[in-house]
Amino acid sequence: MENKTSPTAKVLKYSFSYLLAVLFIFPILWMLFASLKPSGYHVSQIIEWFLPPYSISNYFSVINQAPILKWMLNSFIVSASVTFIVIIFDSLAAFALSVIDFKHKNIVFILFTIGLMVPTEANVVALFDIVQKLGLINTYPGLILPRIAIPLGIVILKEFFDAIPRDLIDSARIDGCGLFRIYFSIFMPLSKAAIASIGIFTFIQSWNAFLWPFISIMTKEMFTLPVGVPTFTDAYTPDYSIPMTVNMIASLPAIAAFLLFQKQIIQGIKFTGIKG
Amino acid sequence: MKSYNQLSDRYPFLKALPFMLPFALVYGIFLIYPIFRGFWMSLHRWTMIRNMGFVGLDNYLYMIKDPAFWGSLGNTLLFVIISTPTIVIGGLVLALLANQKIKGQLFIKIAFFLPYVLSVAVISSIMVYFFQPHSGLLNGILQSYFGMEETIFWLGETKLAWFVIVFATLWWTVGFNMVLYLAALQDIPESFYEAAEVDGATKLQQLLYITLPSLKPITWVVTLLQIIFSFKIFAQVWLITGGGPGTDTRPIVQYIYEVSFKQNSMGYGAAMAFAFFIILVLVSMAQIYLRKREEG
Repeated sequence: MENKTSPTAKVLKYSFSYLLAVLFIFPILWMLFASLKPSGYHVSQIIEWFLPPYSISNYFSVINQAPILKWMLNSFIVSASVTFIVIIFDSLAAFALSVIDFKHKNIVFILFTIGLMVPTEANVVALFDIVQKLGLINTYPGLILPRIAIPLGIVILKEFFDAIPRDLIDSARIDGCGLFRIYFSIFMPLSKAAIASIGIFTFIQSWNAFLWPFISIMTKEMFTLPVGVPTFTDAYTPDYSIPMTVNMIASLPAIAAFLLFQKQIIQGIKFTGIKG
Repeated sequence: MKSYNQLSDRYPFLKALPFMLPFALVYGIFLIYPIFRGFWMSLHRWTMIRNMGFVGLDNYLYMIKDPAFWGSLGNTLLFVIISTPTIVIGGLVLALLANQKIKGQLFIKIAFFLPYVLSVAVISSIMVYFFQPHSGLLNGILQSYFGMEETIFWLGETKLAWFVIVFATLWWTVGFNMVLYLAALQDIPESFYEAAEVDGATKLQQLLYITLPSLKPITWVVTLLQIIFSFKIFAQVWLITGGGPGTDTRPIVQYIYEVSFKQNSMGYGAAMAFAFFIILVLVSMAQIYLRKREEG
């Protein structure tokens, strides 16, 4: 297949791809190297950013100075709860919509999916009022509940559930299984791959969420990472090592999760494409 | 037990209800109700503490005469118009590059996608320092290796500030579009290319007559998602330029935020949020309509 392309053109095309790839991770590498510079270190030449001396002392001082580990814990509690509840609630609803034949099922499904057209950005003002009246501003449930309301998982899981052979349900019913048993012992195990993708994708989305936490969190103690991190960014300081260390600490879990779960994350994006 | 089963066999909805109820409750309270609540609030003077009384359509009348509303809506539209083609085509180009069967293909794919998994807080912070005039990386590189003499104030001038915002958004999110394009590329049957090869088609002809036409459906999807995503722009602007210089890059979501939560006019904020919601619904419906017509 490649025989038509001349060797020079090939080399050119490949080096362009590699060069672009390196440029893409260059700012991330800079973040890494800047975080390893001793605090207050003066950089006079660009290349010095990337050369020794290296030191990890910034990491200790950031952890000692700021409640960044608490923010990470907050982010984790919120994202893990969102992910867990989304998987349960969405799969239950998708199961009913796929398996049980009730009147006006299509209308219910449409009612659930129109929520995909409603962005948080257009809802924040009223959402703040509602969450405040419920006494949930500045609490974990106040951060978690609005995220669970997004119906993407239902749309995806319903498609998956629709593809599961119906004879499996019939034979399970003959064996005396109730609906919940069928959901739990047949549908959930058969959809493991989809559920894993939805779960990991939901987790990352929630981990990185900015607008709602930014509006609804009032105290430093309750910050999630994306709300806490910018408090370190100050365009007027020439000392980048501390803010870059904060950026690194905030990014490490996401980068690690990405490298471990690449496949599921990419699958999660393809699912998002399905709804378009 | 038995009576329940008999009852629910006749009324299958009762069987479905317990499965749907948990989601339906959260969905109803935190996603659907806010739309109505928001409209209700927009008909009132409303502070963060309480409802100050019914004012009818006054907030909307104020809105259509508010230059800051039109200014920030215009900024958002400008961003949609610049960023949509840039990030859609960017995604296509990266997908074509990452789809080549070459050594290090996995590295290329990971590199293109990696920024997407970072938080907007982190990418914004990196960009602030990257474009910082005096000790930032970009000016440093341009001055040290490309003989640039002056100091460019990237965030001090409207056009440059927009460039920085679009650049940051492209770098951060283009990997998402690339993944969608890559999936579509891998769905094109290998036999198409083999047949073209037999007929003596060049690589360019294959790209123009096989690859690009096959990518048309996914391009609709990517464009739709991108337009909606671009309309919602807030965080990276807030964190990189703060809407500046002046209010030249302030998007509508930021203005809604400032009016509602800084100036404490939630009624007016809700009116603008409702208008913004209607705009987004119209945009989605227009696209669905166009796509249906296209597909005939």
